[in-house]
Amino acid sequence: MRRVALTRASIAIGLAIGMAGAVQAQTINVLTAGSQNMVDYVTDYLGPLFEEQNPGVTVRAAGTGPGDAGSQKIFEKLDAQMSAGSDAWDVDVAVVHQKMAGQMREADLLGSYRGDIATGELVTRDTAKMALGVDVDGYVMPMFHSQTAIAYNPDLVPDPPSSYEELKEWVAANPGQFGYNGIKQGMSGVSFVVGWMYAHSGQEDVLSAGPYDPALKDGWGDVLAELKSFNENVTFTPGNAGTLDMLNRGEIVMGPVWVDMFYTWQADGRVAPNIKLKLIGPGMPGQPMYYIVPAKAANSDLGKKFVELATSPAVQAEGIVKKFNWYPGIDAVHVEDSLEPADFEKLFADVTPDDLASKGKVFPIGPFFDDILESYERQVQN
Amino acid sequence: MMTLHRSLRDERVWSFALVAPALLTVGLLFIYPLGFSAVSAFSAEEEGGWTFANFIKAFDLYSNDILFTVVIVSLSTVLIGVFAIAIGGYLTLGENLYAVAILKWLYRWPLFIPFIVAAQLMRTFLAKNGLMNNLIVGSGLLEPLQTQSFLDWRGIVITFVWKQTPFVALLVAGAMASLDRSMIESARNLGAGRLRILIEIILPQVRPTIVVALILSFVVMMSVLSVPIMINAQTPTMLTVDMAFRINAYGDYGVANALGFISYLMTGVVAWIYLRHGVRQGGSP
Amino acid sequence: MSNVWRGVVVPWIPRAILLGLFAFAIFGPLANLLLWSVAEVWYFPHKLPLEWGFDFWRQVFKPRGNAMLSLNNSIIIAIFTVIVSLAIAIPAGYALARRNLPWRSLILIAFLLPQAFPSVAVYINVARIFYGFGLAGTYVGVVLVHTVQGLVFAVWIATAAFSAVDRELEEAARNLGASGLRTFMTITLPLALPGIMASAIFVFLISLDEFTGTFFVGVPDVVTMPLLLFNASMEGNYQIASITSLLLLVPSVGFMLFIERFLKADVLAKVGN
Repeated sequence: MRRVALTRASIAIGLAIGMAGAVQAQTINVLTAGSQNMVDYVTDYLGPLFEEQNPGVTVRAAGTGPGDAGSQKIFEKLDAQMSAGSDAWDVDVAVVHQKMAGQMREADLLGSYRGDIATGELVTRDTAKMALGVDVDGYVMPMFHSQTAIAYNPDLVPDPPSSYEELKEWVAANPGQFGYNGIKQGMSGVSFVVGWMYAHSGQEDVLSAGPYDPALKDGWGDVLAELKSFNENVTFTPGNAGTLDMLNRGEIVMGPVWVDMFYTWQADGRVAPNIKLKLIGPGMPGQPMYYIVPAKAANSDLGKKFVELATSPAVQAEGIVKKFNWYPGIDAVHVEDSLEPADFEKLFADVTPDDLASKGKVFPIGPFFDDILESYERQVQN
Repeated sequence: MMTLHRSLRDERVWSFALVAPALLTVGLLFIYPLGFSAVSAFSAEEEGGWTFANFIKAFDLYSNDILFTVVIVSLSTVLIGVFAIAIGGYLTLGENLYAVAILKWLYRWPLFIPFIVAAQLMRTFLAKNGLMNNLIVGSGLLEPLQTQSFLDWRGIVITFVWKQTPFVALLVAGAMASLDRSMIESARNLGAGRLRILIEIILPQVRPTIVVALILSFVVMMSVLSVPIMINAQTPTMLTVDMAFRINAYGDYGVANALGFISYLMTGVVAWIYLRHGVRQGGSP
Repeated sequence: MSNVWRGVVVPWIPRAILLGLFAFAIFGPLANLLLWSVAEVWYFPHKLPLEWGFDFWRQVFKPRGNAMLSLNNSIIIAIFTVIVSLAIAIPAGYALARRNLPWRSLILIAFLLPQAFPSVAVYINVARIFYGFGLAGTYVGVVLVHTVQGLVFAVWIATAAFSAVDRELEEAARNLGASGLRTFMTITLPLALPGIMASAIFVFLISLDEFTGTFFVGVPDVVTMPLLLFNASMEGNYQIASITSLLLLVPSVGFMLFIERFLKADVLAKVGN
């Protein structure tokens, strides 16, 4: 009885697989950690473009969820294949966060490919070489750069604070009107906390460049105590999207958001058109998303070709800047030529290039990053 | 004597053979991989060897969250039990057929909503300017300034109760419907009120079903991530959120697995209730 | 006239208020889902969407999107999960209900484990094992993972179903000379079928809802509906999430309607005992 049912089940499953995967000539698998709009970017724009240029190839894209959790899943998938001893991994290209790129590099999961592709030399920023203190030179290509900033409703806050210090006073005067998502529910809150640490500890240089000193965290008591009393007048939001959502529903009037996500929501009609952005001093962190090609990708040549297309000036101009309002991954000069000046300027309407240069920070190196988060858990939340 | 002995043994062998495929499935696909989790929870990442360090750290950082999880899930379980009994009771004792039919049609809907969808729709429903408050304000019952957001521990409890009550009610109502009606009728003839019949006659008889349905709900709620992560932005929060955070932010499987085992211990207590309960029932149905 | 008033209308007032509140509690959140699925522009302080339309539906069903494929996958996987679960739960349930098993309660509790442990940590290890066997990225792998999650419902309810079957009927059949297997197939199984069908509902729903295991074992080759939903939902893309949720409701409600007639009270009464 049981065996019959099982055999029947397996035959039927076999049939189902045969039908569903109507064998393609070649398929490359692209996994994307991060927002839905980034997955859409691959499925709707990049995928078809690549298929057009490479007849017979199918691009299969899947999203792994927003935030570090999404990157973590890609890590685990690759790590599982490595420890199972597989030689042809089922991921050919992946988009991951900065912190995870370093972790993957240290676990030997990444293939070195930047030297093999023509667009490799179009990027000279530090972020293409170092990811939070880990040397990833050659192993990554930035897809785009993102930045956190404070979003606010200018009708209700005509004169927004322009630094952490002013924000602290503003929040004390307007309790409950400022919201952020803590540190467990997404990176925009983490970024706000890191900015707080940079502003108040006076240790930005060592935090973001090293060398690591485990004793440093013992001196953060006062800074975190101040953050704890700041938090008493803050509304907590559920996630990066939650901050935007509450801003949109009028439940808060100010909060830290990712610039790219903010623009996407505004374009979709989910954030009122009057909401504006401000990058407050001394600065808030941003980070790139990276394209990586796994060390044993089954179709690594196609994978490299895919990244080459994705980081070409034309695609970066058309796709990244014009369609999505993201800051380009390759150096801006290469992109500027392929764009109408108006499109290029739109990108910098609220946050000027000067702001970005002076107030766009990087996240701290890995071990300090962990120390900040854990100290926050210990001293602010507990 | 000999043959009786053998047939009993034969029967046991047969029984085990019948249970074996199911046990093997759970063993190979769950308990075996769970072993790796146990190893990771008890081993010291850097120094090697065995340690309780992960558990100490888990308690150190998340003791509030552990308590919070127990309270939230227990409270939800109690509320689910009360509502499910009320629904089942009305379906069994209700005198108006139309009202019974309407209730029967109504109560099942959330059963089909996956947790993640429930979390998603509650998030926009319960928010300060969400649909619920908008409707209440629109109907003139409250002023806009009096509204408040339910997106905290209350939101979690509301979502859990909303989603799990139909499941328990379905099982409980089934159990109640299969009871011998004659006892209920005779109590009614003696003039007993419906509430009294429900509490004194029906409940004792369907208690096993209620306990089992509530245990299943308790266990399911303990392991849901999407509801607390999407609804509750405050601290403290539930253990599943901490586990996910440990893994995603630090890649720290040791503490995450330790938290998993702590959450397991809590379910263990519930399973123990079930066992005791089963033993009192004589161990067989 | 006043009799009608007192006899019909008055008792309906508390009833109607209670049922109305209940309907609001059930359908309020669901109405929210419907609203969001057709809202195109909606922001504060507007209480209702500013622009309505089916733009986001088009986005979900765009030719390159994999909504339909994922929905198909979800349904195929759920059906096979039900078949496999029942195939192993029926013998187990029969043995647990009918035969003298030592450690019976412990065995029943063993099936509870997969529901009890927060699953992320375990599925990472399952994925590792499956890559070794070549089961990762296959339908079989995903079905197996879903089966484990649903097994507690399948086994507990099947056990209840067999317990509810009157033993005397079986013995009568045996006395008339029917073999054990024949008795099982012609008497016991048909009588227990309603309960087994009830367990199928829960297994089906769990499979439709499952996210973590599918992700680690299935992606990128097997993508199901909850994977699409999870992204959209976590990301605050309410329109897409609402539409996906509505789509996911279709198979669940359809399956429930199909199975409704098998649900019998006496079986539900014995679940887990």
